[in-house]
Amino acid sequence: MVKFIIRRLGFMLLTMFIVSIAIFAISEIAPGNIARNILGPFATPEQEASFLAQLGLDQPLHIRYITWLVGSDWRAERLIGMPLRRIKKPDTEFYEWWAVEPDGTLVRWKLDGEDLIALRLQPDGTVQESLDNERWQTDEAGISTFWGVDTHNRAVMWEKGGGQTYWMRAKAAGWWVEQPGGAREYIPLQKGLLRGDPGESVKTGRPVGDALLRRLQNSILLAAIAFVIVMPLALVLGLLAGLNEGKALDRILSVGGLATTATPNFATGIFLILIFAVWLKWLPGATVFASERAAFENPKMLILPVMTLTLIELGYVLRITRASMVEVMNASYIRTAFLKGLPYWRIVFKHAIRNALMAPITVIMLHVNWLMGGIVVVEAIFGFPGLGRYLLDAALYKDVFAIEAGAMVMVMLAVGTQLVADIIYTFLNPRIRYA
Amino acid sequence: MRVDFEQITDMDYRIKTPILKVENLAISYETRKGDVPAVRDVSFEIRRGETHGIVGESGCGKSTVAFSIVNFLGRNGRIVGGSILFQGQELRGRGEEELRRLRGDQIAMVYQDPMSALNPSLRIGDQLSEVLIVHRNLSKKAAYEKCIDMLKRVYMPDPEAVMLRYPHQLSGGQQQRVVIAMALLNNPALLIMDEPTTALDVTVEAAVLDLIDELRREFDTAIMYISHNLGVIARVSDLVGVMYAGEMVERAAVEEVFLNPLHPYTQGLMRCVPKLGLSKESSYLYPIRGRVPSPAELPPGCIFEPRCDYARPQCQQAHPELREVAPGHFARCHFAEEIAAQKWQPPQDLIPDLAALAARKPEVAEPILRLQQVKTYYEQERKSLASLLGLGQARYVKAVDDVSLEVPRGCTLGVVGESGCGKSTLAKTIVGLEPLTDGRVEFMGFDISVPVSKRDLSLIKELQMVFQNPDSTMNPSFSVGYQIGRPLRRFRGVPRHQVRDEVIRLLEAVKLDASYYDRLPRQLSGGEKQRVGIARAFAARPNLVLCDEPVSSLDVSVQAAVLNLLLEIQQKYGTTMLFIAHDLSVVRFFSDFVAVMYLGKICEIGPAEAIYAPPYHPYTEALLSAVPIPDPSADQKRIRLSGTVPSALHPPSGCRFHTRCPRKIGEICEREIPPCQHVTAEHRIYCHIPLEELRRIEPVVTVK
Amino acid sequence: MAVSEKVMPSISARPSFWLRLRDALAPLLASKVALVGLALVLFWVLVAIFAPFLTPYSPREQDADAMNLGPSAGHPLGTDHLGRDLWSRLVYGSRLILVLAPLSVLCSLAVGTTLGLLAGYFGGLIDEVVMRLLDAMMAFPAVLLYLIIIAAVGASATNVVIAITIAGAPGIARLVRSLTMDIRTRDYIAAAQLRGESPFYIMWVEILPNARGPIIVDAMLRVGYAVFAIGTLGFLGLGLPPPAPDWGSMVCAGRRYIWSNPWAVLWPSLAISSLVVGLNLFADGLREETMRYQ
Repeated sequence: MVKFIIRRLGFMLLTMFIVSIAIFAISEIAPGNIARNILGPFATPEQEASFLAQLGLDQPLHIRYITWLVGSDWRAERLIGMPLRRIKKPDTEFYEWWAVEPDGTLVRWKLDGEDLIALRLQPDGTVQESLDNERWQTDEAGISTFWGVDTHNRAVMWEKGGGQTYWMRAKAAGWWVEQPGGAREYIPLQKGLLRGDPGESVKTGRPVGDALLRRLQNSILLAAIAFVIVMPLALVLGLLAGLNEGKALDRILSVGGLATTATPNFATGIFLILIFAVWLKWLPGATVFASERAAFENPKMLILPVMTLTLIELGYVLRITRASMVEVMNASYIRTAFLKGLPYWRIVFKHAIRNALMAPITVIMLHVNWLMGGIVVVEAIFGFPGLGRYLLDAALYKDVFAIEAGAMVMVMLAVGTQLVADIIYTFLNPRIRYA
Repeated sequence: MRVDFEQITDMDYRIKTPILKVENLAISYETRKGDVPAVRDVSFEIRRGETHGIVGESGCGKSTVAFSIVNFLGRNGRIVGGSILFQGQELRGRGEEELRRLRGDQIAMVYQDPMSALNPSLRIGDQLSEVLIVHRNLSKKAAYEKCIDMLKRVYMPDPEAVMLRYPHQLSGGQQQRVVIAMALLNNPALLIMDEPTTALDVTVEAAVLDLIDELRREFDTAIMYISHNLGVIARVSDLVGVMYAGEMVERAAVEEVFLNPLHPYTQGLMRCVPKLGLSKESSYLYPIRGRVPSPAELPPGCIFEPRCDYARPQCQQAHPELREVAPGHFARCHFAEEIAAQKWQPPQDLIPDLAALAARKPEVAEPILRLQQVKTYYEQERKSLASLLGLGQARYVKAVDDVSLEVPRGCTLGVVGESGCGKSTLAKTIVGLEPLTDGRVEFMGFDISVPVSKRDLSLIKELQMVFQNPDSTMNPSFSVGYQIGRPLRRFRGVPRHQVRDEVIRLLEAVKLDASYYDRLPRQLSGGEKQRVGIARAFAARPNLVLCDEPVSSLDVSVQAAVLNLLLEIQQKYGTTMLFIAHDLSVVRFFSDFVAVMYLGKICEIGPAEAIYAPPYHPYTEALLSAVPIPDPSADQKRIRLSGTVPSALHPPSGCRFHTRCPRKIGEICEREIPPCQHVTAEHRIYCHIPLEELRRIEPVVTVK
Repeated sequence: MAVSEKVMPSISARPSFWLRLRDALAPLLASKVALVGLALVLFWVLVAIFAPFLTPYSPREQDADAMNLGPSAGHPLGTDHLGRDLWSRLVYGSRLILVLAPLSVLCSLAVGTTLGLLAGYFGGLIDEVVMRLLDAMMAFPAVLLYLIIIAAVGASATNVVIAITIAGAPGIARLVRSLTMDIRTRDYIAAAQLRGESPFYIMWVEILPNARGPIIVDAMLRVGYAVFAIGTLGFLGLGLPPPAPDWGSMVCAGRRYIWSNPWAVLWPSLAISSLVVGLNLFADGLREETMRYQ
């Protein structure tokens, strides 16, 4: 059985690898699109080129994939010749990259005309500026260059007197402006997805990782409540329907289950809002997260989202369980049990249920994909600040790095649950356990 | 109803009231088209210590009768008439709770497929002991002990360990022992066995049948034994009831039914089955014409009338009753006495072309097919991650291992062996559906050691196959005509505009007519599908046809017709055949030469008559002693193999048969691959035992 | 020795078209659930066909004087926030969805069937590679896949079809693969191989026709999913760009005015629900009936 689980784990890793390539390929195969998506249709080719260079999107595909997956700092360290460190800026959610001098001082640079200025972080948190021109390195052609870390978390190769300009996003102006003091090459510094740093949002400039984590917690809360309600209810109803195959109870539950599952989840949500919020005015029609703990302070606003999710999932699980129960009750070994003269309920509980639950567990866990789609929609309907809406917003804004990271997390969750399902299945099924 | 007790041996200790008495039982199934009478007017009784066999072809209602006794007919079946008396008490109309108390306690049942009869996710011990816990209120511990005792009584090796296992960890024979033990736990008065050995191999079947016989004596249980296999019924039964299309047509003591059948259907059945030792030169099979009527469209008079050679106008009008024709011998026929008095003459259309048959024996010609050290190994499906990346050691299933043989032109080589012996793989290797691992296959002088996709079309044409399963032999989406015509078009045997005529000619050759041309496979019966399969195989006039169990899924009466057809066509075209089957009687009947296979190797090969007489390979001997013979008077030596067939993944060293061989002579069998000993030029035995010793073995079967 | 199983009282060799149609429809007519489903689907199909005769307004005609109105004589279902008639938008929207959904299912059928046949028939390395790729595709929640694809290539009718094709093909491929692997072991396939038929002939002529039953039922369910997906994309703002009368987009646009004009979200939600539920009931009823009498 250990072998079986290891094998599944191997497949899962392989799957995740292919998935990461797929996500990366779909999102970044055409970086020009990304630039136009962000900059709008009126950007000049120069602006676009500068934008791509600053985001590292001008580099070849495989380098970008490696950077995205395992980071770029180790590559930059070799060019700079100093170790690099990422620290969290106090009292903000932003991170900063610094180079570490041999004595442990953190340093980065900026270009002022032809002068290289070192910025050293002092223990009290202030930054001390000083001229640092001796770091220029001059080659045979007489061109002086320097690899260092700039104030925008990039490894940069500056060229002395290059006179280049660059386009940078001026937050105040809300637009991109041309500035002097450009650099010849950029490597945006990043620890990479596998090391917990999927990059910064193009839209907000904030690190994607932390935002994702917060959103994920919210989504898990929502999904967990729905799960706790759906599972027992659906399994019990499904078993009952299966035991009463063909009778009225079964017909009602099956057709009802089919109808609720088939109804698009946004329609379900809209119906619930119309009924409970617009007409009856019993419940809030949207979720407003004023604080981190809003869900616990005002649990009422979770009712409709949870109800929507429940309705979506209930029918599906119910029908799978029912089908499985029907199949098991018609199996030869159940006939054996009847012919052994066992009482009906002993047959149901001892012989049927265990076998009947085996199929639903795998199928339900596979269905987690469906549930995630549901979560995206439900979060969109109710404005619930979860992972789904984060992804949706990212998709609407075409915020590539946020989409990539969010998608990876979602797929990882989906694949992870399937692994859990496999493990549960092996415990339930002696044929695999004692293979 | 009176049974002549003198006729039945050792009656003395039997109590004379029947355990089970079924009278005029009628059962109907509800379908969309209205009620269908599945069983009508069935009466029989079973006494303590007596085994009552019920025999009939598929769909005759035997299982329905069995399930009706415990009132387990499913949702749409119900008893519509008659009575079921169990120990003098009427079971019909009893409440569910009362019946439940009887089931598993007083009445127990054993059914066909033991694997699906056991719950896959419960331990054997739990499944056994709950019978005692529910019916006898025993404590779990006491129940476990009783179960272990019972497992010992059914000769289950290592019963304590078996109690803790799951069904999938046991072999088929062991599972069936568990099911039998489960049925016997409460010492039931009545044991119903529905085809309990059908899914098992002959050697395992023989052991299970021995066990059933022994337990019947020991427990003095009344047994109702249902089977389609006349041989099995002849072996286990005291009394036999023959069922046909939902009615019992004949009932008598076993010797009476087999040696002196009174009903034309029973007589027909007996003439359909090849007896062990009979060959096509010395005998002929007479099939029953027509097919079993569907229960929805029964003939008004005698149900057998449309197929009966003796049918008269009266048979069409009056439905005969089951009546006592001779003492203790019941038959449902208006003219049973008359028929019994006259000697049966095959009707004109059944008489074989004896001249052709006599001229059949071919001169031993040059071999058309020659196999030299053929090996077919399957790579074990590897599922570890390492192997996915191409690491790790490959493991092989040695399905066919070092087989050499020759088939002379125009002859038939039969290949026999139990399931998993590699006989089907051998056939697939020859036709090129399985890649050859090593060795050489030569056909008409050409090397055909390559897969079929790499063979020349003209060679492909000469090598065709008839398949086992009538339901999968034809593509359900295309008409009969298209499917027979396809090889004609493909091999360009006839000009395009003549294909249709040629197909119709072929249909007629397999005794179907032109109206079948446009039919779809689902409109055909099993036998008809098999005929079309034969027509398709012979369409391009191949030189060699491989028949892989062509009759094993057919009912006996249809089986005889298909065998005859194959013989006739082979005769007509002078085709060479390789005939694979597990039924030794059929192989003996059909083949000129026979090869016996065990675990991928040939143990013995030679002319058919030589294989079935000493000297035998010990495995051949064991097989012959296990074959159920439809003749209660036949005398058969009792040789039972121990253990199960080893896995072909790790075949035993030396002689593959040494782990089960009752004649193992010592370490040499484990160490060395047995030598080839020539009895005659054509008859080879692969065994360490010296030929002189093998020659001294007594014949296994003697028919009186 | 002319013995044969006697020819049964003649089953007419080639049943007439109407008889065969009746046979094909029999299971359907037996299931009330399937009939209800069929009625719902037929309703929308007829609406789509006769769209111009069912409404006097164009779906894009704006009326600044009649914004966010409830149902009235002039506008039976009311108007949206731009004063467009909701009924005519629904009517023309049905055309859109009833073309796009089957089209995307056909595309995924083409892709999925080919992959499934190849993987199932050849097995081995081809199967292994195809299956790993499909596993990866199926690890994506479908909505997520739509999000990434549409975010990368932008929203348009073609891209919606492409996204649904990509999301649907792996499921079909898996189904076809398992059917192929089952059918491949049948004797008639061996017989075809023994005629030296090409793999292409065996896959498309011998195997595929026998897999059609489950594939058709699955495709029907998939049309349901496709409608569902197109609606969801529209609702999320990733569907057909305005002013197309896409049902999902109508809900999306109307959502902002839900408190003042609930009708504008109610009708399209109802429309899409009835169509998807109808398709599902129909497919499910059909499956139940065909399975019961196999």
